[in-house]
Amino acid sequence: MYRAMKQGSGLRRALRSSIAAATFALIAGTASAQVLEVAVEASPAGLDPHIVTAFASSQLVLGPIYEGLTALDKDLNIIPGLAQSWTASADGRTVTFKLRPGVTFHDGKPMEAEDAASSLRRVLSKDVGSPLASRLGALESATAVDATTLELKLKEPSAPLLASLTGIAIVPRGLEGNKDALQRAPMGTGPFKFEEWQPNGFIRLARHAGYWNAAEVKLAGVKFNFVPEAATRQVGIGNGQFALLPHIDAATALQLKGKPNVAIRETMELAYTLIGMNVSKPPFDNAKVREALNYALNRKEIIDAALFGSGTPAAPLPPVLKDWAVDVKDLPCYTHDPAKAQALLKDAGVATPISVSMTVLPRQDIRDIAQVVQQQLGKVGFKVELKNPELGQFVQDWRNSNFDLFASTNAGSIEPDDYFYRAFRTGGSTNVFRYSNPGLDALLDKGRATLDKPARQAAYRDVQKILGCTGPAAHIAYPTLFSAVRGNLQGYDIYANRSLVSLGRASLR
Amino acid sequence: MLRHLFQRCLDLAIVLFGISVIVFMMIRLIPGDAVAIMLGANTEVTPERVAAMRSELGLDRPLLEQYLSWLGRALHGDFGTSIWTGRPVLQEVTAQIWPTLQLTVLALVIGAGLAVPLGCLMAHWRGGRADLVLRIGAIAGLTIPSFWLGIVMLITVASLAPSFASLGYVPFSEDPLGNLQRLLLPAIALALPILANLSRLVRTAMLDALSQDYIRTARAKGLSETAVLYRHALRNALIPFVTSVGIMTGYLLGGAIVVEQVFSIPGLGRLILGAIAERNYPLVQATILIVTVGFVLVNALVDLAYALIDPRLRTA
Repeated sequence: MYRAMKQGSGLRRALRSSIAAATFALIAGTASAQVLEVAVEASPAGLDPHIVTAFASSQLVLGPIYEGLTALDKDLNIIPGLAQSWTASADGRTVTFKLRPGVTFHDGKPMEAEDAASSLRRVLSKDVGSPLASRLGALESATAVDATTLELKLKEPSAPLLASLTGIAIVPRGLEGNKDALQRAPMGTGPFKFEEWQPNGFIRLARHAGYWNAAEVKLAGVKFNFVPEAATRQVGIGNGQFALLPHIDAATALQLKGKPNVAIRETMELAYTLIGMNVSKPPFDNAKVREALNYALNRKEIIDAALFGSGTPAAPLPPVLKDWAVDVKDLPCYTHDPAKAQALLKDAGVATPISVSMTVLPRQDIRDIAQVVQQQLGKVGFKVELKNPELGQFVQDWRNSNFDLFASTNAGSIEPDDYFYRAFRTGGSTNVFRYSNPGLDALLDKGRATLDKPARQAAYRDVQKILGCTGPAAHIAYPTLFSAVRGNLQGYDIYANRSLVSLGRASLR
Repeated sequence: MLRHLFQRCLDLAIVLFGISVIVFMMIRLIPGDAVAIMLGANTEVTPERVAAMRSELGLDRPLLEQYLSWLGRALHGDFGTSIWTGRPVLQEVTAQIWPTLQLTVLALVIGAGLAVPLGCLMAHWRGGRADLVLRIGAIAGLTIPSFWLGIVMLITVASLAPSFASLGYVPFSEDPLGNLQRLLLPAIALALPILANLSRLVRTAMLDALSQDYIRTARAKGLSETAVLYRHALRNALIPFVTSVGIMTGYLLGGAIVVEQVFSIPGLGRLILGAIAERNYPLVQATILIVTVGFVLVNALVDLAYALIDPRLRTA
């Protein structure tokens, strides 16, 4: 149509051709595949699935562009991905994967076991410096036995391996020392291939004709438009310019509710909000003070006041992880009890009021939560001063444990080990709390190396009981995650981990 | 005239040098570490990895050394590569400068173009009811922030004419009508404060000029009222107007940052904002320098325009 306008002799001609095009679209609408217009908040930093980890990037790459050996279904169960099946040896140290035949990369080359082995080695490569490396900490070697058989040798049995592999994209071989090649030109096996990136404008993907499950892919492509302003995204979905706002907060969802042609989908998010405590210095070095803080919090009130009632009080693991999560009812300190909090503070021998500062992540919902928490803690004798640094400063203070308390959010994980081990084990890579508890360390080590599920479940139940009331993080809420969807978009499912993998099955009417 | 031009170029060089030092220092002195932000909050950050990245980016060298090496390369036209995308900074900037330039020019044309007739009318109706209403309107236009106006316009238009494409940007070469349609609302949002400011200025300047002796003389020698107004009054009133337009252009670039954000236009403003948030040092330095050059150049042009308007300044 643009072509027609350029060559056309004027407005009338352009108008006529656009009417013709519209009529054609009306007739052909149901039969022809269309491009899905999506509005997302931020532009990704890059598209290398082994390097970028922020939501802005990962929601785009894993699922639509790339696939892993294993995958997740809507309820976060592990299902076959590029691997059709797998078997573990008796000692648990050799795992053999049978790969799906007939899978091709976006450039048409077949995906073989050597590509998968090379991808895993790339994640561990020093040159690439992938932040995912720790998830493959147990991997000793990855070898292609034949084109469709991949053999992994492990240093020790690893219970979280299959879960970890859901997050590791398979890329073409030969990139093990190359950390730049995929950032701007991704090359995966997923239902959509990369087509164009206009910085600060959009990223456009087109259907991968050689996809192994091509019959399921109905969209001709997906265009991710970067629209930083929430009000602008609302207008866009209201007038049909966008057909999907994948992940929006409660405030936006409430405003969009009841708009014609816009439906709201929701799920409980895997990510959670938390108040972190620095246990390397008083007053939070004292377990009683940490317990008092938990009793002082009224999580229901926080959710009502700061999250528009859209959320669930958070235990250390989210209820979506049915097999693992302890119910908040089993954690006594989750019952709001200011008197008990004061008694605990008295027991701990700290003089009230206790002056502490709380460093707040610069995001509106977190700021709102921090203000409610400030009031609730004030009632039992904490005098909380709120600090509102910008993001760079926040990350630095967080990283350097330069805080008494912080209010923030964390992406969460489908695998308890993946979250607990790095956050709470002595010396863990994101243990900014400086928390160290030998009893907890032993449980975490056991949970990681035990393959027997009931035994693991028991270990993590104990972990949650320890962390729940006297741990260095008071988990606040699992917010409800919303998607706004135009009426003509079919087959889109909202995932608790923000995955957009269902776009491979979606269609526009 | 030639000496004047030479003087201007010298000024430009000094200003640019000063700005480059200030920007270079400022972005490094504000808290927050590029490497920490790049590695992210949810990733495994080992001291070795941080050190490796730091030395790769040259951030481990003394500040003075970093500045001199940057300056040396910048003088040869090499502004470095963007830390995040790895593409040359200059390429990133040229890719995103067009929407902003177009927006600025459009807003300037609307704002300054309407300000002259409106200001003249206000001067003509001075003290009357229409003048009062317009003056109140001008105060409102000055005080309402562009981004708020932008959001309100966006929501209003969306509810009145749902099919009016108002978001994003398409290049003029691809779709001229769509391009102008999408830039219309943001340009108006940007133009209103300018219109308000400049029309008040034209009004005052006109009133001032009309009370001068030479106007009485012009009338006394029997010139038509039109000739009096346009050849004598307006011409003299335009000097402060042109000065203001020059300064406004600078503010427009600042306002564009906010308006681009609201209308999701991929322009220079969003590039700068993103670069600062990411501590993308080379990109911040280059974009701010380019905006500065633009601002200084516009003001140099304004100086030249004086000479066109006022013959007395041509010899000075």
